[in-house]
Order: sequence, then C-alpha cells, then structure tokens
Amino acid sequence: MASADVLALSLADRQALVPMAAGYLILMSALGFGLRRLYRPRGAPSGADTWPDRTRATPPDPGRRTGWAALVRRVAGTVVGGYLLLMAVVVAYYFGIARVGPGFLESAVTGTALLLGLAAPVFAALSWLAERRARDHAEPGEPGQAPQDCQGRGV
Amino acid sequence: MARHPLLGYLVWVVLFGAIFAWEGLALARVTGVPTLSDVFRVIMRYPVGRWALFALWLWAGWHFFIRGWHFLLRA
Repeated sequence: MASADVLALSLADRQALVPMAAGYLILMSALGFGLRRLYRPRGAPSGADTWPDRTRATPPDPGRRTGWAALVRRVAGTVVGGYLLLMAVVVAYYFGIARVGPGFLESAVTGTALLLGLAAPVFAALSWLAERRARDHAEPGEPGQAPQDCQGRGV
Repeated sequence: MARHPLLGYLVWVVLFGAIFAWEGLALARVTGVPTLSDVFRVIMRYPVGRWALFALWLWAGWHFFIRGWHFLLRA
C-alpha cells in the first residue's frame, strides 16, 4: 500500500508537473476547440459532423480588413497580447506555485522583451509577405479577401 | 533522482510521438484527421488564440535560449 509520502509531490515535482500538465491541458483544449470548429461549421445542425473540404475548412475571417493599417494593428495586437498573457502566466506561476529564484521574474520580463525585439521585425515582415501573397492569389474582382461563410461561399 | 529525468524524457517522447503520428495520419489522409496546420489556422482566427500561441512560442524561446542569461547577453 502506498504511503502518503509516496503520493505527496515534492517541490521539484510540483514545479515540473503542474505547469507541464496545465500547459498540456490548455494546448489540448485549444486543439479540441479548433477541431470542433472544423467539424461543425457555424450554423450547422448538431448532427452534421461531416468533414469539410480541406481547402474550405478554414476560410478567412469574415469582415477581416486588409491593408497596412490593419496588418500593423493585427501584428501589434498579437505581439502585445501574447507578451501580456505570458507575463500574467509567469507572475501567477511565481506567486501561486513556486518562487523559483530571485532573478526569475526579471529574466522573464527582460528575456522575453529581448526575444520580442529580435523577432517582432521578422514576424511583421513575414506577416506582410503572407498578406501580400494572399492578395496576389485572390480572384480578380475580389477586393483582397472577400467575406465568406463557413462553406467558402461569398456572403 | 536518476529515474526522474528518464521518466521525463519518456513522457516527452510519447507526447511528440503522438503529435507526429497524428500529423502523419492527417497528411496521408488515412482518416478524417485534420492536419495541425488546419487546426492552428482555425485557432489563429481568434485574437485570444493568436495571443496564446504567441505566448507559447515566446515562452519556448525564453525557456530554451534566454533563461539564465543576463539582459542583452551580458556575461
């Protein structure tokens, strides 16, 4: 019979297991949500779990704006939102789960800021290229990416 | 203490193996499994999804390449 000591998690186990399990759950939830969206387009009845055409499975955002201002806003929103979300998780981890060291928070803030400074220009440039490529491949007569419903039909 | 890293490696091998198996099945179109690209594209349609993925990417970069270093790579 296992004693309470065996079942109890050590500090190292807690530091490794809790964030790993939480991250895994969050990732799997996000993937599950994505799968649900793929299998069940908006407005479809609950029994209509048919696999959609791969090319039509992920239509662009309805009403998504194109152009420089929209691209900059989208990239800046992603960068700032992602950074703030990570900082919130790191602070919650530090104060809620384990105080892993005095330099942990400083390293999290400055280290990720350094990464952002290196990666954000590349990220913005690649986003611009992707946006331009999508515009080039849009059908003639379509202004950029026309709003579409979940089946890929224009609305 | 010696068995702890081995167990960790095994868990990671299983997790990555599952992901590669999923992607392999999806690319081979053996089943109705969508590719990871399809799934991530759907997630990235939403701002919160983009934030979460970017935060995850940022954390991975910080954890593997930056953590423990001093700001601006001072020795």
